[in-house]
Amino acid sequence: MNLKNIRLIFLREVRDQLRDRRTLFMVAVLPLLLYPALGIGMLQMTLLFTEQPRTVVILGEKHLPQPQLLDGDRFVSNWFINPDDASKLKVITDAPASTSSGDGVPDERQTRLIGQAQTLRTRVDEHAAKKAELDQLEVELRKLLKRTPTTAELGIGAEAATPAGQTTSNKLTELTRQIRDLKAKLVVIDHELSDLFAASQIQVLIVVPDGLKENIERVNHLIAEREMQSDALMSYPRPTIVKNRADDKSVVAYSRVREVLDAWEQEILRQRLSSANLPQELPNPVGSSQLDLAAEEQLSANVWSKMFPALLVIMAVTGAFYPAVDVAAGEKERGTMETLLICPATRTEIVLGKFLTVMCFSMSTALLNLMSIGMTGNYMLSARGAGAGAMAKMGEVSLPSLPALAWLLALLIPLSALFSALCLALATFARSSKEGQYYLTPLLMVSIGLTVFCLSPAVEIYPVHQASWFYSVMPVVGIALLLKALLLNPGNTEALIFAGPVLVTSIGYSLLALWWAIEQFSSEGVLFREGERFEPALWFKHLLRDKEPTPSFTEAGFCFVMIMLAQFASMRAFGQSIASVAPEQMGEAMMRLLVIQQVAIIACPALFMGLILTTSVRQTFRLRWPGWKFVVIAALLPFTLHPLSLELVASLSWFFPQLPEGAARLMKTMSDHEQPLWLILLSFAAAPAICEELAFRGFILTGFSRNGRTGLAIGLSAVTFGVMHMIPQQVFNATLLGLVLGLIAVRSGSLLPGVVFHFFFNSLAVVRERVGTAIADGHTEELQQSAWRWFVSIEPSGLRYGWPTLLICGASSTLMLLWVARHNQARTLSAANHPMFADKLAAVKTIAEPQA
Amino acid sequence: MIRVNELTKGFDDLRRGWVAALDHVSFEVHPGEIYGLLGPNGAGKTTCLRILSTVLRPTGGSATIAGYDVTTHPTEVRQRIGFMSNNTGIYDRMTAWEMVEYYGRLYGLEEEVLKRRLDSIFTTLQMHDFRDTLGAKMSTGMKQKVSIARAIVHDPPVLIFDEPTSGLDVLVARKVLSTVQSLKDQGKCIIFSTHIMREVEKLCDRIAIIHKGIILAAGTLPELQDKYEQPDTEELFFDLIEQHDKP
Repeated sequence: MNLKNIRLIFLREVRDQLRDRRTLFMVAVLPLLLYPALGIGMLQMTLLFTEQPRTVVILGEKHLPQPQLLDGDRFVSNWFINPDDASKLKVITDAPASTSSGDGVPDERQTRLIGQAQTLRTRVDEHAAKKAELDQLEVELRKLLKRTPTTAELGIGAEAATPAGQTTSNKLTELTRQIRDLKAKLVVIDHELSDLFAASQIQVLIVVPDGLKENIERVNHLIAEREMQSDALMSYPRPTIVKNRADDKSVVAYSRVREVLDAWEQEILRQRLSSANLPQELPNPVGSSQLDLAAEEQLSANVWSKMFPALLVIMAVTGAFYPAVDVAAGEKERGTMETLLICPATRTEIVLGKFLTVMCFSMSTALLNLMSIGMTGNYMLSARGAGAGAMAKMGEVSLPSLPALAWLLALLIPLSALFSALCLALATFARSSKEGQYYLTPLLMVSIGLTVFCLSPAVEIYPVHQASWFYSVMPVVGIALLLKALLLNPGNTEALIFAGPVLVTSIGYSLLALWWAIEQFSSEGVLFREGERFEPALWFKHLLRDKEPTPSFTEAGFCFVMIMLAQFASMRAFGQSIASVAPEQMGEAMMRLLVIQQVAIIACPALFMGLILTTSVRQTFRLRWPGWKFVVIAALLPFTLHPLSLELVASLSWFFPQLPEGAARLMKTMSDHEQPLWLILLSFAAAPAICEELAFRGFILTGFSRNGRTGLAIGLSAVTFGVMHMIPQQVFNATLLGLVLGLIAVRSGSLLPGVVFHFFFNSLAVVRERVGTAIADGHTEELQQSAWRWFVSIEPSGLRYGWPTLLICGASSTLMLLWVARHNQARTLSAANHPMFADKLAAVKTIAEPQA
Repeated sequence: MIRVNELTKGFDDLRRGWVAALDHVSFEVHPGEIYGLLGPNGAGKTTCLRILSTVLRPTGGSATIAGYDVTTHPTEVRQRIGFMSNNTGIYDRMTAWEMVEYYGRLYGLEEEVLKRRLDSIFTTLQMHDFRDTLGAKMSTGMKQKVSIARAIVHDPPVLIFDEPTSGLDVLVARKVLSTVQSLKDQGKCIIFSTHIMREVEKLCDRIAIIHKGIILAAGTLPELQDKYEQPDTEELFFDLIEQHDKP
């Protein structure tokens, strides 16, 4: 690699971009103009914006007790925390004098609203009556049930048929029927009510029952006289407030009405207490007070820590995207790509030069945008002048401190690097700038999804919790969360323990993306993609007609996507069928489902695609006899690898998030002693061994390795195999196993050793649980005495292995894997697997020119 | 200088399935010689020249340039060739001078050498009056001159021209051809593809007639005329193609 070339290309691209008006506009001018313009717009909006008053209808206004609640067509402003809010509710009452028009004649709208309210009231009353009836019936039912012994207690004997029992059971059925009918009626009324309410223009309806004022006074009197003998005397009909929670207007109006009524009720209560000579403190035995410790800078830190990571991610993507499209797809489109490709600079140098350019623009876009937003926001929030009142409520929001900004800058580098490499790869793939633009949306959607995830207050990296470490190694998420923690408190040295993993993995992801971009750049198919007309029918015909012995790379990738989609689609169906099973049959049902899932979702897509898309099913699925040594090794390896894998995952348990409940339940089924061993082995070992091997070491691995890059193929098939397992722990474990399985399959040229390995490995997991519990049943003491204690121990989670075991296993595994890596039985086969193009050409030639 | 041996390139096509763009093609080109590749559009000329310029990889056969294999030593090959085609565009947002200078640097020329070289090229090609014009503002003729300047800036022993005159008006085409001729006189090894008979007759020392990826005939023009008893080049060309396409 020649640094001089990279520098040359980088400088040229930067100069080129700077001479491009569009890029400059997107990167620099837009952020500098957009946010201040938005700010001005927002200020104008707040000046012009007035909230429409919402309509509250009160029926039975004359029954309202003192103190005064209403003032003309408004609530009395004293009852609001902010007296200005009184104008936001318009109250219409059925009292004859309540007309606002002043001349004593209610206007048309009012009359209509009152009419609607009255209709509503009849239904509300009906609803209340039915509800009361229902409550009474339910009380009766409960009484009855308490009196009657349960059927179990009655026994299956003759007493069940006694006349007394008969009548009670008759009464029971009768009561249940009545309750059911009433409930049905209530539902109907509810529906009618909600339709009526939605059709009316009332946001909140308050129905005040007759005699409320007198009743309150009566109870006040009773309390004052200390004559509170019975609850019945104290109870009286209460007002009903009708609202619709699904309607935003109604929700807003209701929250205001609630505020007013609460304040008003407090006053009534105060009067009641004073008239009864009771202390005002009576209703507040606890009466806690609040102390808010948030200092100004903390408040602003909070605002920034939420906003900046999200903005940073989005800006880094958009900032990277446009230059990437221009330097890659744009260059193809303008016909300068070939010029560049024939210069002595290697593809890697070209990609690196372009990558650095894109990254440079990504970072500057992100920084300029953040600066502009910060400045504008700051200016607007501090402008507490006229009109900015609503904003000023948020408090002084100062810009983040210098250390926080330093962190922002440091974390921006890996973030920009990742997005730049991704965008460059996508843009290289595109034929034209126009096609390139289409790829922005999915990329942006994914990044916004991740960002929204990070915005949630529940998702955080610090304080350290079970999933912290896992979050820290996730792409984008790790950076965003670390930034969130650091912006909240820049001096937080404890959160810095995550800086290592976040940076290392981010750089790793960036390198991976960069590698992909270089791959794209080295691919003839991508660089010289012709603008061929795409016809699905033609393409499909091509797939079926020009079949080859083994699947292509793309077909293998597609197979994996199919498996994942099928898994996703079946998740609900499986969940439902599990939920409908009785708990005692759960284990068996789960295992049955497991087998069905393996066959239907994993094996079928692969087999189906293999049959349709390839000419040699044998080659595709590696159906041939391996050397017996491979089978023996494949059978032995699980015994040495299983302890290693178990202890590895166990020692990394701090890293992974907790196992989801469903998976934990499934694990439990595995060790369920009620189930016959053969069934467990079938569902946990045999089915996966055959189905997963067919798909992942058969179709997918064969497809991935078609262009001769076996190492890459094994890696990719292992990763896909891991990802298919969904749960982080298993993804990790399965990816490692996938590497071993891939190696075995490639070296032996056969599927069989993989199936054997897979079967034994999974069986061991099952057997370990059983053996562990079996030994724990009384043999624990014995074990602890014997020399075996060095090798195995019994933990609550099952059998565990000691370090001597691991040492032996590690050594023998290494030896066996080395043997597998050295012996290549597939070499003779692989020649057949990669038919030289010459053969094909010969065939083409004979068809094209028979005379030659 | 250029040695092509059984060169083959196939690709997958939606409509036709597996297609051979180049089918066991062999030829040699020596220094001080212009070798013409004559063929209709889609004959495989561009594919062949792209393989020689290491942009595409062959699926069979081999090709060496100045002793370096195009697949195993692409960087060395690229150092020693100048490639120009109608696909090698020039940058819109760069001036003529910057463009040629940039490529000179990529070829690793010393700053002083580069400066002298640029001056002499700009003088011989008469490019001084538009040296500070941006690519976007140039006429086709100017662009073609920049392309040639770019291809020869590092003074390569081998030059590859892929239909350099296509889309040019007569005057500009004439200029280009005379430049190619003068390069030959400097002793360069030149391979030149075209579908225009006149250019072949005027310029090429030896030619190969290529069609559907196969070389139908090769040799000097008089040799071919003698062999197929057809004095007219154009007729000769059509006869060969017709004969090949006959079932």
